[in-house]
Amino acid sequence: MKGRILKDLAGLLALLSLAACLAAPILFFLGRITEGSFKTTFLVASIGWFVFAVARGSSGKSPAAG
Amino acid sequence: MPSRWTSLAAAMDKLYEFDREAVTPDKLQSGGKFAGLFAGEHVAATEFVIGAFFVLHGIGARDLLLGLLFGNLLAVLSWTFVCAPIAVRTRLTLYWYLRKIAGPGVTSLYNIANAFLYCILAGAMISVSATAVGLLFGIPIPKLGAVLPTSLGWVLIVVVLGAAFTTMAILGFSKLSRFAEIVSPWIFLVFIAGAVAVLPRLGVRPDLGNLWEVLTTKVWNGVAVAGQEKLGFWHVLFFAWFCNLAMHIGLSDMALFRYARKWTYGLYTAFGVYPGHMLAWLASGIMVAAIGREMHPGLMAYEAVGAAGVAGVLLAGWTTANPTLYRAGLALQTVTPGWPRWKITLLAGTATTVLASFPVFFLKLLDYVAIYGLVLMPIGAIVFAEHWVFPRLGIEQYQAERKGWAFNWAALAVWLGTLAVAFVLPLHLYFRWLPGWFIALTAYTALMAARRTK
Repeated sequence: MKGRILKDLAGLLALLSLAACLAAPILFFLGRITEGSFKTTFLVASIGWFVFAVARGSSGKSPAAG
Repeated sequence: MPSRWTSLAAAMDKLYEFDREAVTPDKLQSGGKFAGLFAGEHVAATEFVIGAFFVLHGIGARDLLLGLLFGNLLAVLSWTFVCAPIAVRTRLTLYWYLRKIAGPGVTSLYNIANAFLYCILAGAMISVSATAVGLLFGIPIPKLGAVLPTSLGWVLIVVVLGAAFTTMAILGFSKLSRFAEIVSPWIFLVFIAGAVAVLPRLGVRPDLGNLWEVLTTKVWNGVAVAGQEKLGFWHVLFFAWFCNLAMHIGLSDMALFRYARKWTYGLYTAFGVYPGHMLAWLASGIMVAAIGREMHPGLMAYEAVGAAGVAGVLLAGWTTANPTLYRAGLALQTVTPGWPRWKITLLAGTATTVLASFPVFFLKLLDYVAIYGLVLMPIGAIVFAEHWVFPRLGIEQYQAERKGWAFNWAALAVWLGTLAVAFVLPLHLYFRWLPGWFIALTAYTALMAARRTK
């Protein structure tokens, strides 16, 4: 049960990271954030995507999952 | 000699044993699975180069958009009406179906040709990644028109990357494949984010009011870079159509579609080609325009997205070279019977790394993609003829299997003959495969019909 919750949470955070990757260039294009902020946000969100997506995959294979 | 081929064929059969039997109904997959599979399949490192080359070749914006729209449609229809129906009716991979038609000898030659072509493709992917690493170390990358390695630094980067990719492919192909599934949607976002982020640099206003004007004057303005051939609508249409020629008309995606419930699942390839072979190409075109039309994928992604862009180019090369190396190794295993998996991958990786150090393969990528499809296309025509035309003309099917031929000489002659004719056809390289397909289809049918008459 706990593994299932963690997996769902990791999945949600991974999707949010991906959404941030998409939102950052749009906000930069619209002039809402600077180029430096866009690139930093994109980098951090990318790291977030990899961490949470891998965590989601790992927890899916965990014996405790489900 | 025949015994050599027999032993090769036996070794090859053992390799492919796991998919020898036709797929059973309980193994068939849903349409959703196919949509998901294709969605992540067509965003590779090479997209950074192909889209950029369309700009360098001076293609106009309207020609590009229409060419990609219709070219990709033709590719989807080729999967749907040529590849998927044969796969669904036979439930076999191309390997096993070709073996019945052309015999194990021709199938071995096909595998060797495929392995060599895969090595060049993986080499191009390593070269693309090398442009990102070269940027980090300030090593200049080869300029357009370069054929041979241009500096010791370039060779060193390629060798280090090639060794790293090969080692990782040896250590864990399956783990890396799972990692590639995670990388794939992110890579696509690198393309989209990069294109959106460089729009202000090109002068596009936030209200998008001058978007079309900027795209037609600063990106796809119809002016080719010095030394690059001017291409137009038909070139783009044919390129989008043939860039996966080996997979649809060449039928190698029978390996996937044999699991489809219906042949119409071929339409799901649209989920892959339109994001990968349209949006990603458009995005890389916009990015290359923003760096002054310089063919430098690493710099292009860095300028657009920053450090994440460099990582994107590197990871795209790595995750797409990995399965290509695996496939090359699998095909090479046919001529190295008894070799362990690691040794084959090492051989494929070494060959790939040597090829990658020659920049011509990624700087002439569009031509290479055309040649790649062209070389394997006649095999697709031969299988198509045997499957659809022979029953209608009363020509006996699968004679190689029934009569125990190692070589169906008609198939081999048609394969090589079609390539020879295609070589001298007075047409642009991009257009040669289409008449070549009809030539192969007609010649193979005629030869086999003549054999029946005798």
